[in-house]
Amino acid sequence: MDMDTDPLSTTFAALADPTRRAILARLAQGEATVTELAAPFDMSLPGISKHLKVLQRAGLIEQGRHAQWRPCRLAPEPLRDVAGWVEQYRRHWEESFERLSDYLRELKDSQEQGKGDDDERDPNRQG
Amino acid sequence: MNATRIDRGSNETTAVYSEGSDLVFERTFDASREQVWKAFTDPELIPRWWGPHGTTTTVVEMDVRPGGKWRYLSKGPDREDVEFYGEYLEVDPPQGYKWTFMFDVEGVGPMGGPETFTLEEVDGKTKVTSIGHMGSVEVLEGALSTGMVPGGLETWDRLAALLATS
Repeated sequence: MDMDTDPLSTTFAALADPTRRAILARLAQGEATVTELAAPFDMSLPGISKHLKVLQRAGLIEQGRHAQWRPCRLAPEPLRDVAGWVEQYRRHWEESFERLSDYLRELKDSQEQGKGDDDERDPNRQG
Repeated sequence: MNATRIDRGSNETTAVYSEGSDLVFERTFDASREQVWKAFTDPELIPRWWGPHGTTTTVVEMDVRPGGKWRYLSKGPDREDVEFYGEYLEVDPPQGYKWTFMFDVEGVGPMGGPETFTLEEVDGKTKVTSIGHMGSVEVLEGALSTGMVPGGLETWDRLAALLATS
């Protein structure tokens, strides 16, 4: 495993597995013990523990200290980072396209006004 | 390979969907293809529309040819200045181009990847398709499942709902 990977890559790698995403989805509803987390999966406790370790290393979950129960809960920060850049990217294009559309409409209007042979001319426009 | 198309919050004007590891935006503009091409490739026009509302963009460099570099500085009222940069990989006027779209995330490093823009003439208008190649399906899935509603508990609700259906 590459130890130099940036934090976001670690988060992505942890999210890349469907079982781990399902674990996160379960934890999104509230904290749960390892046994509770293992229940929906056809998986041994050590198998689940392995996934939990990956999630923990990525900082996506935290595990309580109470010896016997050690419930897991979501840690919001890394997910927020991941969400952040995709959201930023999304917003960038959505809003840029809106502005581009406005600009092109203006351009069209001014061109139509500039044409002498057109039907709809702006009466307020002075030559 | 046929990847499933999943809607990612399209609205009346813009289709937003993912397909495999690509995040796609589609919008039709009431303008000629030449005009749209110019808007995308003329450094004097970029500041007219590039970036989210309320931001101002300065073109630092922009060399529209394969291998040419580009760099825009984006200033916003509610965030730190961001520099977007990359390199033109393919340029095919006025049909489209491919470039890399990068920006630096503090504490993380450069983020982004290649993007492809296609300009098509449709009934006297121009359909623009931008395809962001985001890496792997899992990465996009993981990111989008948390990314639609930023912050707060809603994120977890959305995450839970989305993961429950996938």
